[in-house]
Order: sequence, then structure tokens, then C-alpha cells
Amino acid sequence: MITFSSFPAPPQDNYTFGVQQSPGLDNDVEMDLNLDDDEFESSGRRLTYPGEAITSSQAFMRGHGTYVDHEEVIASVSGTVERVNKLISVRAIRTRYNPEVGDLIVGRITEVQPRRWKVDANSRQDAVLMLSSVNLPGGVQRRKLESDELQMRTFFEEGDLLVAEVQAFFADGAMSLHTRSLKYGKLRNGQLVTVPPALIRRLKSHFLTLPCGVDLILGLNGYIWISKHVKQSEQEGEEGFDAEAVYSNRNDEIDDATRSAVSRVSNIIRVLATHFVPLTDSILLNAYEWAVEQEGDVKDLLQEDIVRCVLLCNNDNSVYEV
Amino acid sequence: MAATSKSERAYIQSALHASPPLRADGRSLQDFRNVLLETGVSPLANGSARLNIGKNPEEGGGGTEVLAATKLEVEDIETGDGVEGGRLICTVTCSPAAYPQLSMNALDDLQYDYTTVLHQILSHPSLHPKNLGIIPRRKSWLLNLDLVILSDAGNTYDAMFLAARAALWDTKVPITRAVQYQARTVGETLRAVEESMDVEGVSPSGFDTRQIPVAADFELPDYWDEGEPLEGRDLWPVCITLNVHEAVHFLDATLSEEASVPSQFLVAFSFPPSSPSRVQAIRTIGSGELQPSHIQTLVQEAEKYARQLHTALNAKLRDEDIRRHQKAKVKFANR
Repeated sequence: MITFSSFPAPPQDNYTFGVQQSPGLDNDVEMDLNLDDDEFESSGRRLTYPGEAITSSQAFMRGHGTYVDHEEVIASVSGTVERVNKLISVRAIRTRYNPEVGDLIVGRITEVQPRRWKVDANSRQDAVLMLSSVNLPGGVQRRKLESDELQMRTFFEEGDLLVAEVQAFFADGAMSLHTRSLKYGKLRNGQLVTVPPALIRRLKSHFLTLPCGVDLILGLNGYIWISKHVKQSEQEGEEGFDAEAVYSNRNDEIDDATRSAVSRVSNIIRVLATHFVPLTDSILLNAYEWAVEQEGDVKDLLQEDIVRCVLLCNNDNSVYEV
Repeated sequence: MAATSKSERAYIQSALHASPPLRADGRSLQDFRNVLLETGVSPLANGSARLNIGKNPEEGGGGTEVLAATKLEVEDIETGDGVEGGRLICTVTCSPAAYPQLSMNALDDLQYDYTTVLHQILSHPSLHPKNLGIIPRRKSWLLNLDLVILSDAGNTYDAMFLAARAALWDTKVPITRAVQYQARTVGETLRAVEESMDVEGVSPSGFDTRQIPVAADFELPDYWDEGEPLEGRDLWPVCITLNVHEAVHFLDATLSEEASVPSQFLVAFSFPPSSPSRVQAIRTIGSGELQPSHIQTLVQEAEKYARQLHTALNAKLRDEDIRRHQKAKVKFANR
């Protein structure tokens, strides 16, 4: 029932200070010599550690994630170096979600305000979902009425999860969402898993269906919704746009096989996320097939040796190349 | 309380009633997440422990993390707040980082709630350690038990009690020796004479000093961080939280699971060696109602779980003692 174990030992401290030349310095010399060269792009993505000198501050300007010390641009976070002309910035690996217009996100309502909802989307600020950018019952072209404003909680209330698209930004950088598509809207029949946003790649479609009867919505903000598969034909249609179904809080009947598949997929995602493997449909599918073959229990997936196997089973399948 | 939508709660609840019941991460109803425990984490405390429930070993964060530490303080019984035989005060602090959604006032309320439960249960006279007195009617130890909740991923009560038990287990009470001041015979100035209260040639201990009513003050014969363990450390209770939803109950709930059950049922058990287990406290949390007949079965079930928890924790604490003393000595010798 319960097992106690020890905290993992801190890594052995092998750092030496002062004597060694930092690995960044070689690059610096090179860069100073040929400033016009596309040093950052040609050598692929360059990773930094906090405090690493990137380049000279006389030739380049510091951007986000960097600071200047002793006439050098120094990374303040660990991440990838990005360059736009003379502007050097570092995009952090562990960070909150940086929204872009058109991104698909999964969010949670935190507040209901006049004519708008506030949505937590793992970003620096809460996103805004206007009443005017959701589909209301009774047809897409329907005008917004005062009665709609008075019953906003019948559409979304605090705590509700929804899938939406980033529509635009406000002046303060907060994002504005919309759910004006039949694919978007309230989420039910499943559970949420959170991963670092850096692990979600931009895919052709973020609505995945695994053959095990599980639908996945990979929000670019790192929120992943895993739910029972709903057939295309049974999805709420455009015609009699049914408020009951779209804004319903009731789950459908879910059989045990689907439930354990949902749990298994979410455990696989957790495992991959802790080992910082970017998520794509093929990786998930491989891991799932492997997990089913092992016939282990769902909770066994979180054990250490199994974790390694899950990672290994994907090795031949270009985890690191994509 | 983590925000959850109605459909998420319904999903969790219906999964509990499925056969076999299934939870979000595939655990069965009686499974705990992985528990990490380390004692002696704080060098300046008399006893300390760090406990984490549900942390992924590869990850930096996650899980419910609780830090517990005890500190002994000398109190004067005649002039100060001290009481005969010493006393125990528990305090729980919640880190604002663990509850970013709560306002400062709400956080204070939460801390107060945790503190009350912990203090009421642990400072009960039936658990009082006997070696907290120093000099009868003069000096006694005040045992401060402080807990910090560093992050919350559900099941904080069990985590707090486990951490508190580990820290109290780890606590060393310094050995004291009573001293007496005597006036010298005429002609000499008053001088303090130390008198070892050594009865029958046994090594001096704090316990012996109680027999001597004339003792005025005390001294520490060895270093302040040495000493004897708290007496009756086997008695410190373990707490088990049963999350009750209709006829089903489960252990070690995550935040979203806690949000989807109407009531939680806390039972603290003490397992004295060579006598039957003792219910130290019962609390219900939440808005749900429990029928008396149901409570009876719950207590019986809880006793079973608590015993397993108690055995596992004791084994781990012994392991920790070995790691910190024997193995450390060997390591030091082989360095």
C-alpha cells in the first residue's frame, strides 16, 4: 500500500571555478572575428546555461533572457539562443506559455466578469474570452442579447475547462480567445494532464485520436486533455446547435476499457514529460502499444525501470530527431 | 482547493464506482503515491524531517512537500510560561508559493486550521513525553514543533503527521545535570560549587535530577546537539485520511480528487508497543454527512491502513537512523 524511499542524492559537484575557460569563450572569439556570419543559425540551436557569456555587447544588443556584464551579453536563463539581426535573446526551456495568434490552447475559467470570462492558460496573464467570441445556442449568426449576459454561467462557470484558439492580443499582452468553431468549446468525458509548454510541438492538428478509443487535445500551453473518443458523426452538429450538449456538464457513459486507456495515456504523457521528451502522436502511439503489450497495470507505468523501457521503445523512432 | 470543473469531478467520482475502481494515475483505492522521507535535514534543529508525497524522482518539483523541525527551549516555571514536566507547541506555516491562489487572509485561516488540528492531537496528555522536565518546579523544556508546507498536491494532513512523527522521532533532548549553589563557610565570598548529582554511581541524566529538590540550575554535560531521544517516541500517532464518496473510500487523494469528494475522514492512531492500538483523534472535513454506522466501519478500516503506515514509517525511520549514524561513521572512516 505504501512505500517510503529516500530523496534522490544531489548530483556530485564537479564544477571547477576560475581555472577553466568557459566553453562559450571559443565561440566568442570566432564570432568577434566574423560578425556577419550567421553564427547562431549555422551551428544549429545553441543551448545556454544561466551565466554563460554569449557574445560581446559591443556588437550585439541584449534581448529577453540576457543581461550585460563586463561588455558581454550573458544568458540569464537556460534555453536556446535566438538572433534577430543584432538582437540576441534566449528563449527559456522552462517557462510559462508564450502565446501566438492561431495557437490552440486548453484553458480553465477562473473568473466570470461582465461580458467576458477570464481563463487560466498557463500564461503570464489570464487570457480573456469575450462573450462575443463564443458560439451561443440558436445559431452562429445570432445577436447577443442582454439575457445572454445575465446567464453567462450557464455557458462557462468557474473551473470549467475549454479548448479555444488565440484570436488576438490586448495592449497589455493578454491574449484574447475565441471558441467560434464546433471543434472548440467546453471539455468533458476525460481528465487533464499538465506538461511544460516547450514539449508541445506545433502539429498539423492538435486534435489526436488514438486507436485505443481516446481523444487527445494537445494545447500549446502545455495543458493536455485526454478524453473518451467521440465519433465525428456524433459530434454536436452545426444544424440544431444544441446548447444542452455543447455546454453540458454531464459526462457520457464511459466503459472501463476506455477509462483505463485514458489513465494509461495520461501516465505515458507524465513519464515522457518528466524525461522531457517532446510529444507527438507517433511517440505516444508507440509508447501506448508497448505499454499494452507488457500487460502491466496502469500504475506500473510510473515505476523507474518501466519508464526507461517506455523511453527506449521510442528510440528507434526518432524521438530526438523531430 | 484546486479549481475543477463539474465534468472532471463527475469523471473522478464515476471512476471510483467502476469495477475495478480506477483513479486518474491508475492507482487502486488503497495505494499511496511514492513517499520520500529524510530525517535530520536541519542542522540547527533538535530533530527534523522532510517528507514528500507524490514527487516524481526525475523532476525538480511536484508532490506535497512538508518540512518539520523541533526545537527545545528552556522555560522557567516560576516566573515564565513553563509548566511542570514541559510542554509541546505545534505550529504550521503554509508557504504562499504552495497556495498562490489564496489571499494572505485565506492563507492565515488555512494555517490556523492545520495548526489547531495538529496541536490538539499531538499535545494530548496521553502522548506527553516524560523527559521534558529539567528541574522540578523550576525549569522545563518547551518543545516547539514547526511545520512548513512547501507545496501542496493533496493529502496534506497525512503528510504533516508523518513529517511530525519523523521529526519527533528524530528529536534529541539534551542531557542535563542539576547544579546547586552553596555558600562557603565564613571568610570566603559566595562561590558557586558544582555538585554532580550522581546517585549510586550511575551516569548522570536529567531524570535523576528530579529527585533533588534543592537544585537551583542545570548544566549540559555534553554538546547541545547530543542527548537522549524523546521518551515514548513509539507513541506518536500516524494519521490516515479516508476520502469518502458514498460507500467508497480511498487514500492519498490528489488535489482534484479532494475537490470531488464531499467529505474526508481523519483518524489518528497511536500504536503503543505490547498493547492494542489507540484512537487518538477523529475529525471530519467537508460538507458531506457520515452515518454513525458508517463511521464505525471506517474507523476499523482506518486502523488497518494506519497500522501498515505505522510499520512502514518505523522501518524507514530505523533505516534513516542507520544511514545517518552507522553508515556515516563508516564513510567518514573510509574517506
